[in-house]
Amino acid sequence: MADAQIVVSGLTKQYGTVRAVDNLSFVVEPGRVTGFLGPNGAGKTTTLRMILNLVRPTAGTATIGGRRYVDLDQPLRTVGAVLEASSAHRGRTGRNHLRAICAAAGLPMKRADEVLELVGLTPAAKRKFKGYSLGMRQRLGIAAAMLGDPRVLILDEPANGLDPEGIRWMRDLLRRFATDGRTVLVSSHLLSEMQLLADELVIIAAGRLVTQGKVETIVNGMAHAARVRVRTPEPEKLLAELGPAATVQRTDDGSLLVGGVEAPAIGAAALRASVELHELTPERPDLEAVFLELTAGKATIR
Amino acid sequence: MITMARPNLGTPGPAPLRLIRSEFVKVRTTNAWWLFILGALATQALAFLLNAVNAHFFLSQPTPPGLTAEQAAQIDANRDVVLQAANLYTSGQFFGVMFVMLFGIVLVTSEFYHQTATITFLTTPRRTAVILAKLVAAVLFGAGLWAITTGLNLPATVLFLRAEDFPSQLGAWPVQRAILLNLLAYVIWGILGVGIGVLIRSQIAATIIAVLAYTVGTAVVQFLTVLADWLDQEWIADLQWGVPSIASMLMVSGGQTPGMPPWWVGALVLLGYAVVAGLIGILITRRRDIA
Repeated sequence: MADAQIVVSGLTKQYGTVRAVDNLSFVVEPGRVTGFLGPNGAGKTTTLRMILNLVRPTAGTATIGGRRYVDLDQPLRTVGAVLEASSAHRGRTGRNHLRAICAAAGLPMKRADEVLELVGLTPAAKRKFKGYSLGMRQRLGIAAAMLGDPRVLILDEPANGLDPEGIRWMRDLLRRFATDGRTVLVSSHLLSEMQLLADELVIIAAGRLVTQGKVETIVNGMAHAARVRVRTPEPEKLLAELGPAATVQRTDDGSLLVGGVEAPAIGAAALRASVELHELTPERPDLEAVFLELTAGKATIR
Repeated sequence: MITMARPNLGTPGPAPLRLIRSEFVKVRTTNAWWLFILGALATQALAFLLNAVNAHFFLSQPTPPGLTAEQAAQIDANRDVVLQAANLYTSGQFFGVMFVMLFGIVLVTSEFYHQTATITFLTTPRRTAVILAKLVAAVLFGAGLWAITTGLNLPATVLFLRAEDFPSQLGAWPVQRAILLNLLAYVIWGILGVGIGVLIRSQIAATIIAVLAYTVGTAVVQFLTVLADWLDQEWIADLQWGVPSIASMLMVSGGQTPGMPPWWVGALVLLGYAVVAGLIGILITRRRDIA
């Protein structure tokens, strides 16, 4: 399904002296959820808006199914986008907001009611937007994105404002979308959320690509970051037994974070040195640690 | 693999009609439109009253003695029943077109104020088409308000003239022309409003600046006249015909008062503004980043 592939190539956006996005290239494949990850200010929103023809790139191109967004015949039938939560007229009802979009996109008006049902907003359909909670606004945005039954979904920080139940609901929805063979690109700075949701990651920092790949590959590729938490009353004796291969970091609570040596080797060393062990826990690096390591020093305010 | 049910989405109609329809859905589902119509009707009632008092004075009183020849000529011109009829049939134009302008402004600025520009341009990435649809919506609103105000002015003026023992004057070309050009004024001010809305994206700033420029700008004319007299440079006073609000009043004047250019000068000035506003609006919108 190459017609639903997002290809970003050499995308650059210069705002005055700041290069918000710097020669960024990546590909988003259909059939999986791709997380677009980066610290705040990394250029995620600017990149998504350039893909959607809302912001003019200084250089580079972005295509969806081989065509620029502006060249799509029926954009809403190809791409659904959720960009910001508060994007309807305060005095207009949610239903009328969707009907205005239906009219412009040439979609049947009844689609407004169908997508309201889909996102669970039917009871609030005829309430004015100003009375919507943040979570309801987010759901209305998702409803708008669903109007054209698109093959591609692009969401910018969709978890913002959703309660835990809403986040689970959205996760299920995106999962179903991807399983259905559609493309899902979802940005976030919430790493834990991405670990649950995404199959694939595109990580950027300071407007540049840091890495792209499957979640497991990225996490496991950082195996050197794996460490073992050790608690013992005689740390010096144990470390002497472990030798120079081990790297050690002492934590505030008195435990040791030992790198470069596997847990069984530490246990064996403790036995040889007759040292008590109170804790021996291998710590798998989570995405957060990997992410912080990957973007270290780049996540500055620009 | 789970397959999601595919909804029936139909086939879209022609883009221009879709976009204009969408603009009307947007307008109809908020309050601005009927507030503007109410404002226009309230000011129209006041304007008609003032015009009627004015007409009664000119049509019934003799020219007072002791005036310079120029002043007398001006008053005599105003004693023309055709001119007065044209003025009455177009009552409410001054504030009516202002409300049409505000409508055009809000049509654009509310998209930025409420951040709906994003979904609007996602739905229609060809932005020229969006602005053209807004121009059409503003033109139709202007034409509609013209129809309403004219529908009220017609019977009121006929009754007033009958009370003053005059026929309706509706057969006179200058009167017919004034009523039709009044339509042109209502339409053009809608276009100007859209142009202003694009230039000044802030809803509050655009509204305040436009209303001030419209009302206070009209007072600038007095200043120009004084300045022209003081410097003895007649052309300075003529600059006033370049002020849009003055131009639209000139355009609908039913007769030619001494010292005023012909009506079509006002029409040309207004058309010029409309074309420039529309073009600038489209060019700016095409280039602008929506963030």
